[in-house]
Amino acid sequence: MRHAGQSGERASPSPPPHRVRTAPPISGSPARPYLLVAPLLAVLLVFVVAPLAFVVAVSFFHYDNFAIIPAFSFENYADVLTAHLTYELYLTMIWFSALTWFFTLIIGFTVAYFLVFHVRNPLIAIGLFLVCTVPFWTSNVIRMISWLPLLGKQGLINNALLTTGVIRQPLQFLLFSDFSVVVSYVHLFTIFMIVPIFNSMSRIDRTLFEAAADAGSSRWQTLLYVVVPLCKSGIALGSIFVVTLVMGDFYVVKVMSGGSRASIVSAMYDDISTLLFPHAAANAVILMIIVVIMVSLILRVVDVRKELASQR
Amino acid sequence: MLTAAGRRPWTFYALAAFFALYVAFLYGPMICIFVLSFQGPQGALVFPMRGMSLHWFAELVTQTETGDILGAISRSIPLAIIVMAATVAVSVAGGLAFRDRFRGGAALFYAVIVSLVAPGYVLGIGIGLMFQLLGLPANWYSSALGAQLTWTLPFGLLIMFAVFGRFNRAYEEAARDLGAGAGQILRLVVIPIVLPGIIAVALFGFTLSYDEFARTLQTSGSTNTLPLEIWSMTTNVTSPVIYALGTVTTAFSFIVIGVALSAIALIQRRRYGRALPAGRH
Amino acid sequence: MAQRRKKRARIGSVDANTAISRRNLLRAGAAALGAAAGSQVIGAPTIWAQEIKDIELRHVGVSYSVVKAIGDQASKDLGFKVTMQNLDTSAAITRFITQPQTVDIPDLEGWQTKVAVARGILQGIEVKRIKEFDNILPIFTKGEYEGKKVSRQGISPYEAMYIEKKDSTKIVEGVHDWMTFLPQVYNADSIGYRPDIVGHPVTHWKDLIDPKYKGRSAILDVPNIGIMDAALALESRGDLVYKNKGNMTRQEIDTTINALIALKKQGQFRATWTTFEQSVELMASGEVVIQSMWSPAVTAVLAKGIPCIYAPVNEQPNGKEGYRGWCNGMGLMRHLSGKKLEAAYEYLNWYYAGWQGGFVARHGYYSPVPKTAEKFMTANEYGYWYLGKPAADVIKDPYGAAIAKAGAVRDGGSFIERFTNIACWNTVMDENQYMIQRWNEFKSA
Repeated sequence: MRHAGQSGERASPSPPPHRVRTAPPISGSPARPYLLVAPLLAVLLVFVVAPLAFVVAVSFFHYDNFAIIPAFSFENYADVLTAHLTYELYLTMIWFSALTWFFTLIIGFTVAYFLVFHVRNPLIAIGLFLVCTVPFWTSNVIRMISWLPLLGKQGLINNALLTTGVIRQPLQFLLFSDFSVVVSYVHLFTIFMIVPIFNSMSRIDRTLFEAAADAGSSRWQTLLYVVVPLCKSGIALGSIFVVTLVMGDFYVVKVMSGGSRASIVSAMYDDISTLLFPHAAANAVILMIIVVIMVSLILRVVDVRKELASQR
Repeated sequence: MLTAAGRRPWTFYALAAFFALYVAFLYGPMICIFVLSFQGPQGALVFPMRGMSLHWFAELVTQTETGDILGAISRSIPLAIIVMAATVAVSVAGGLAFRDRFRGGAALFYAVIVSLVAPGYVLGIGIGLMFQLLGLPANWYSSALGAQLTWTLPFGLLIMFAVFGRFNRAYEEAARDLGAGAGQILRLVVIPIVLPGIIAVALFGFTLSYDEFARTLQTSGSTNTLPLEIWSMTTNVTSPVIYALGTVTTAFSFIVIGVALSAIALIQRRRYGRALPAGRH
Repeated sequence: MAQRRKKRARIGSVDANTAISRRNLLRAGAAALGAAAGSQVIGAPTIWAQEIKDIELRHVGVSYSVVKAIGDQASKDLGFKVTMQNLDTSAAITRFITQPQTVDIPDLEGWQTKVAVARGILQGIEVKRIKEFDNILPIFTKGEYEGKKVSRQGISPYEAMYIEKKDSTKIVEGVHDWMTFLPQVYNADSIGYRPDIVGHPVTHWKDLIDPKYKGRSAILDVPNIGIMDAALALESRGDLVYKNKGNMTRQEIDTTINALIALKKQGQFRATWTTFEQSVELMASGEVVIQSMWSPAVTAVLAKGIPCIYAPVNEQPNGKEGYRGWCNGMGLMRHLSGKKLEAAYEYLNWYYAGWQGGFVARHGYYSPVPKTAEKFMTANEYGYWYLGKPAADVIKDPYGAAIAKAGAVRDGGSFIERFTNIACWNTVMDENQYMIQRWNEFKSA
């Protein structure tokens, strides 16, 4: 059944392999994929591969307080990998990532569910969705500064709580703490969870709800066994985005924790401030390896690529 | 989700309340920004309010106490638009390409992941260094553009992957059977179907570029984009002028959204000749 | 805002009254003034207008020394374009090192100059061509003041100042013909505090780590600077005596960081601040009552009507206390040549001609050439900011807000008093990498 206004593609949990591809690829000439990815390849080669080659090269160099000396030494990697600090920083950031992922997932999923299934008018849905993105057009830096008047000892929240008598002393932990770091992360990154999940959800065939209800499933069961599996790729994407953003962050932790925490990239930043490029480069390479592993793990659970190129 | 009687289930209200809370959470800092931007000349960045005036909005235009915010905006916005267009084009093309398995596809995919994952500040330094070695001048429209694309393209591409993953190629086949050429198929069949995805990618592209800091810091050349300018200002006395900027940006965005949605509503009304279709179901 | 307009007009009129503007000269079709010896004219041209009007000098650095207003005024006075780009200190030095072609006039701190010279990205500044060289405070050019030698802990500007030849990459001791950078803005940093809450005048660094202010104090989060503040505090408290606070040994670093970690665990610090702005807001919002601060931050807090004093921490006979000094200056990138180099020298000389000095003074910064800056300030202002005299009238900040009433004395007294009491200068240590690592351990403790 087609729905008026819906683009109408069907999403079934597992497409029956009823047709083997014997005809030529639908896209036409076999060279077409290569042409289509050419711009992507160009950008990546010039702006990612080449600069990173530099970074990797520099990570093997030697630094003598004034100049970087080309060399091939593992001293930087040894320094980074044997420092207790490195493990502390990674544990801290992984902990933050996990917390942020958890909260952004719950909030993002719920918001997306509301927008997709409960808002009747698609125009209003888009409108509400855009309302969620408007704050992002005010620079991140400005919004981070504005947490102080909100969460500070004399901030709005403390004032509200004090005047209504809920507390007697201003709450210190609201700002310059792990709490404020996670709040800031959730604030900044939930949108990255909402968008992919919204995309996935909007492709779910509404009739499935009816079918599930007819089969006797409760609302909760429908959610767990129908909606969530169909949003797998959206959730996976959102997770990838959020984890990457948190692991690569340097100024949210710096500013919101009030310096009570360091992040991996902020330690890199400190190195670079005093021109310790080789050490920072080694740090960067290790960070990239670890986050790529994290992303691969997520992709192992939900293979976005396989879904894309599946035989239909 | 309607019950048989057409009323909304209780979950609607629960979820609506949750949504309202989320929006309140999102806009909490914005409200502080909004209120504090109306302070007088003695204004600080925190409460209590000091005076009431439009002083800081005027300051935004005259720029006597601040850095070059207007100049920075005049670079950030065109840059964001270019990045948005490029991201959409390249992501759609990439998404289309990845539907078929081709040689090097896996490597390319991982290159995209690496691009996403690379620490922005370090990558920016690498790009700047590369431009220096090649003797090319670094500019917001060359090196910064490229640097920002390395950030937005993974987002765009991955979203298009998810979008195309649910795309039934039977439509393309049908169009082909009806005699449509490749270009027509793209224009009249594929793009309308994936349009929501494209809009999402465009939105991401613009927002990510407009806000991009780490990768742009070392690649913007001799002029600053807006995030760089604001960040540099914080090494000096910063004033509520940045709050005024936030208020103006938000107001402007709401106006644009309002206009765009009204325009869409008008077009749809004219197209269907009656009230809007009753949405889902 | 009207006040601000008036103020600028006043400066402009000083300009017009005491100087022949460059434009007037050129309109008269006069030839270049040739050697500028004896010419006290602001921006007196020594090269033809047509030749340089297309030149654009890119001055890049931190926003408290590279100010757009200064660049605009220079462009007006000199006839060619001076564009200012602001970056934070770290991004700036990284730019200079990795993309030297994109900068013309780099803004460098003393210790950054040392590295920049070694990397060969600067060219020497010819002392002979700097008109006001002899009027530069000898603190910078000779490392001494009225016989007393300036502290050599850390990297003092004098230590990083001279090279033998234009293209040398090694810094030498003693006055020579070529300089690496021209001092521009500098200051002596100490502690800022709320006199109404702290209750007693602060003259010792140890108050910063006094348990009385537990949870209400802060230090700054730039490792190579913050560690020196910590060192000053610990030395003041009597924990240890450092051989060179600006170049610590590993044991000294360990002792300092361990003490900091202990303090952090006791909850001494409310926060460590990263940006200037944060320090202002921490104090203004009441989050902290005592913290490491920069002088203009104190001015900014005062402008918001909140009492704040910059603690005078003069050196004691026992060698404790003292300010932490720093100095930003302008360099010349090596790639400058020909007409652009000429224009650069014009600009450097314009800088010392006084307008800039008057401008930054109202932020609380000093000019290295007080003589010319004096011409652009009222006697009252000069007396207050530079000489430590009681203000004869209300003192206003650059934007017209009153920050000191008549009779108030600038914290720390005269600038000479502050600068002859510098204990150590901003620096980068030999054990820098180790220090940063331990600093980050302090942060994640």
